[in-house]
Amino acid sequence: MDQNRSKLIDLFIGNISNAILHRILENAIDNKDIANKYIKESKNSWDIAKRYREKINPVSTYLPDKDMNYIKQKITNKVRAELLIRISKGYENIDLNLVEESIDKALREIKIIK
Amino acid sequence: MDQIYIPKNRSGFRVGNYVVIKPIETQKNIEKPYFYSIKNLEPIKTRIVDEIFKTINKTVEKYNNIIITGSFLDEGFNFNDIDILLITEDKISTNKLRETIKELTGAETHIILLNNQTLIAGLATDPLYQTMLSKCISKKRLIYNIKRRIDYKILDLHLLKSKTLIDNFDILDGAEKYYLARNMVAIFLYIQHKKISKEIIDHELVKLFHLQSINEIKKNMLDKNLFLKEYKIVYDETFNLIMKSIKHGSK
Repeated sequence: MDQNRSKLIDLFIGNISNAILHRILENAIDNKDIANKYIKESKNSWDIAKRYREKINPVSTYLPDKDMNYIKQKITNKVRAELLIRISKGYENIDLNLVEESIDKALREIKIIK
Repeated sequence: MDQIYIPKNRSGFRVGNYVVIKPIETQKNIEKPYFYSIKNLEPIKTRIVDEIFKTINKTVEKYNNIIITGSFLDEGFNFNDIDILLITEDKISTNKLRETIKELTGAETHIILLNNQTLIAGLATDPLYQTMLSKCISKKRLIYNIKRRIDYKILDLHLLKSKTLIDNFDILDGAEKYYLARNMVAIFLYIQHKKISKEIIDHELVKLFHLQSINEIKKNMLDKNLFLKEYKIVYDETFNLIMKSIKHGSK
């Protein structure tokens, strides 16, 4: 990976991890109506992740296995770490089983994996 | 037989002239909107607000209130759209309403439909709702005396949005940085049970990040290293306060 591509991938990982974490935490929330009503960001993590993905070659097809595995592993570590911090503080209703399926779903949506 | 009396000494028409009889219009009660924390509003904005209220009044059959909030109420014309909270129990197509308002006023709108229960729950648990209503124009008087309740899940979810600024400082513009920093500071104040309003949050932003004025963020003129260093500290502190609230019986 050249330096620029590597940096783009890291930025992509940071943002998509944040977006996935957001989705999992949304599931843990009791009153979704309140949290979802006033969402109006010009750019959120998901949008930014998509923008970075568009700059990572190959753009129009899936990434090579090596990149795919690296990205998936990094995201899994980041998301799990964030969730475990919360669980250790007493946060209730977090479903760790959602991690893998949420990551796969997001990576498929964004054309990283098949 | 009904009779109409007219003065005997009159000018304008003689005996035998045809006339039109119509009732004198009764004076309509002019409903004045309620302004909250707004010192001045440009006359053209007042006309737009009036037009929005009239349009919704004509289009929407049943609603409890209309509240206009957001950057539209700030001085000047540096706003992208007008935030409208439509408090109603009914399901309404906001797209059509948005188009009608655009046709009439030329302004883009962001219409949020809320029922009364969600608004009350939002005001009790969500700093964004409190910030929204701290400066607004409302069609009807706002009477909400709601006790604040800390819901760590909602606060955590909102705070997560502000993390975007840390990783993406270079690609965000001033308005986006302002939005994300303001969101974080609103939560930071809220979790400490401090009063929040748009002005209070702006003041706190200036203080926390040692700014000359709030325009330093809005106009994207920040010193990246200095700003991010402080930002991360406030972010972590806010996150820790939210997590601590779990043990203190927050929901």
